Amino acid sequence: MDSNAPIALQNVSYTFGKGALQKQILFDIDVVIEAGKIVILTGPSGSGKTTLLTLIGALRSAQEGSVKVLGMELNAAREKDLIKVRQQIGYIFQTHNLLDCLTIHQNVQMAQQLNGIKHRDGKERISAVLERVGLGEHEHKYPSQLSGGQKQRAGIARALVNRPSVILADEPTASLDKQSGRDVVDLIQDLAREDGAAVILVTHDNRILDVADSILHLEDGHMKSLSEAVSEGTSRMLNLLEKHDPDSASYLATFAFALSRVAYADSVVTDSERDKMREILHEVAKLDPSEVEFIMELSMMQKRAHSGLNTPANSPDFDRERREQFINSLHAIAEADGNVSAEEVVEIQAIAHEFGVSSSR
Amino acid sequence: MFGSIPLGWLQLKHQKLRLFAAITGITFAVILIFVQLEFREALSASAVRYHSVFDYDLAMLSPKTDFMVSSKQFPRSRLYQVLGFEGVESVTPVYMRLVSWRNPVDRSNARNILAIGFDPTDSGVGRLLTPEQLEAIKIPDQVIFDRLGRNEYGPVRAMLDAGEEVSAEINDRRFTIAGMYNVGTSFGLDGGVVTSDLNFLRLLPTRNKSAIDFGFINLEPGQDAKEVQARIRAAIPGDVRLMTRQEFMDHEVAYWNKTTPIGYIFAFGAIMGLIVGLIIVYQILFADVQDHLREYATLKAMGYTHGYLRNVVLQESVILAVLGFLPGMTVAHLVFTQAAGSTRLPLEMTLQSALGVFTLTLIMCAVSGMMALRKLKSVDPAEVF
Repeated sequence: MDSNAPIALQNVSYTFGKGALQKQILFDIDVVIEAGKIVILTGPSGSGKTTLLTLIGALRSAQEGSVKVLGMELNAAREKDLIKVRQQIGYIFQTHNLLDCLTIHQNVQMAQQLNGIKHRDGKERISAVLERVGLGEHEHKYPSQLSGGQKQRAGIARALVNRPSVILADEPTASLDKQSGRDVVDLIQDLAREDGAAVILVTHDNRILDVADSILHLEDGHMKSLSEAVSEGTSRMLNLLEKHDPDSASYLATFAFALSRVAYADSVVTDSERDKMREILHEVAKLDPSEVEFIMELSMMQKRAHSGLNTPANSPDFDRERREQFINSLHAIAEADGNVSAEEVVEIQAIAHEFGVSSSR
Repeated sequence: MFGSIPLGWLQLKHQKLRLFAAITGITFAVILIFVQLEFREALSASAVRYHSVFDYDLAMLSPKTDFMVSSKQFPRSRLYQVLGFEGVESVTPVYMRLVSWRNPVDRSNARNILAIGFDPTDSGVGRLLTPEQLEAIKIPDQVIFDRLGRNEYGPVRAMLDAGEEVSAEINDRRFTIAGMYNVGTSFGLDGGVVTSDLNFLRLLPTRNKSAIDFGFINLEPGQDAKEVQARIRAAIPGDVRLMTRQEFMDHEVAYWNKTTPIGYIFAFGAIMGLIVGLIIVYQILFADVQDHLREYATLKAMGYTHGYLRNVVLQESVILAVLGFLPGMTVAHLVFTQAAGSTRLPLEMTLQSALGVFTLTLIMCAVSGMMALRKLKSVDPAEVF
């Protein structure tokens, strides 16, 4: 293990509660994150992502294993040392968590004065950071006067004003629309690169996975590599589909993945595309919305793992009726957001070619 | 500690309505505390008005005398007995009794007034009367009237100032008002007249001349009052009490504060004011902490200590104390000016009492802040994620 890495976890386990109510949240986690790297942490809710983040963020002391952040061992650390580590970390919260009674400038100053920097000496840096996140004109406004995206960017400015070596972000895009979410993530990426910080980004948001240098997947407290997660997820999906219709499970899997591929073709999935997918999958296979959600997430993970779309072992058997339904549905997804982009057309043709069906209707 | 951002003040200022409610509440509590304490103070100060104008080192009174206005008599010979002790220079027997005064203008209006009688040639009367007034009361049926008595006794002061001759019926006998002195009212006393022992006995013909109400004893210069007191006490029977000047005053104040419910009521009122203020400030600060729990958790996650947050809440409580105290003091001052005019009681805001109430207000706010802080303990920075 590289002892210089800003974040180094070894055999970390964590348990909540005592006695009969005891519940283990994390099992033997090993993670090393080098300076300048952005790591995305994904996983279903309840998988232990937040607990892991609070351990690294020195908000809890570790129980088992070694949590080294910025060279400080946090296992059984005293409150005083935890506070010292907290002061060197940049936090970006799910909601902005700005102080309502302070201006944007003062909110950022709250973080800066933790480092003992006098305002006289630090105010230019604050203005520069706010300028950098695009809030130069809004420096002296109060949070209530800003939009959700602006507030989140103010939160980022606060996290980054001290040029921290470790940045932790918990669902930074959860409360934002597509474009603001994208802007915020790009900003985190740029600033992290500029300052050479190690970044952990917890997210459910498939739209932002591309900024990561690596993706960690947490499931039921176990750290999984992406390909492990994908293969487990695929077998779970097949089980699920078999329950609905044992004869056509592999057809449905291919069908669902093909739909996801079209939806992701232009890198963004709009809500209307999601709705259309839910509708089609519900019609064809009686899948409920959470199962559709699961399949979509899985297909995105596959895309990241570069494992292709050939998971179902046997090439499905297309009769004429299914072929038509297959192609029509792909087009329906492409049209769901009102316009068919060139990428979507290319993707439909690629899928049709792979499965030996005609892409035209 | 606060860096350059006064967070407590900014948080208070951010919610203007709540700040206004807090200040109003504290102002109310401050007024309540001021008024109650000041009335209690006035009770003590006014109760010993006559005790402090006479000139004496030791006072003799009946053991049955609880307070001045309801004095019981004791044999005058006991007082003269004291003259035989070494160190005693002179004694002054004093007669005292509430008598009925009839308003010289509105004659249907009768009111009790304190009548005091003594030999004008005795020395214990001190600064109460001028030498001219001492001469005047030697003339039969002449009395000196307390200028600072209640207005219900009639416009005696205005009439005398205008040069008119004023006479009034006291215990159904006509007396001439030959001058005025300054003492004032108390909770047990509305006004007074001072005259010679002979005139006093004209007022109360049934009184036995050899039974007196108080005896004032003057010592030779350089004598220790305590020491002389001990010597006299050891030698005379227990049918009289002998007190030093201070003991005599304390005896009177203790009666009003402890034996009557009046002192208790004022003390209770002040405590109620304090509790009301305490609850208001606690409610405001508690709601404030409650509303900011998420922000405080965020600050903790950023690396702020519990001590910093504690200071923010204490800063808020000190600010509230100051902002509530100033208008409270102003209003209380107006109340005192108004009340002093109509009751003639010694209601006056001293620097000492203002500082005392300010200290109480600070303590009140700080205690409330401490109670509200218990909520802050529950702030877990891990909860902000």
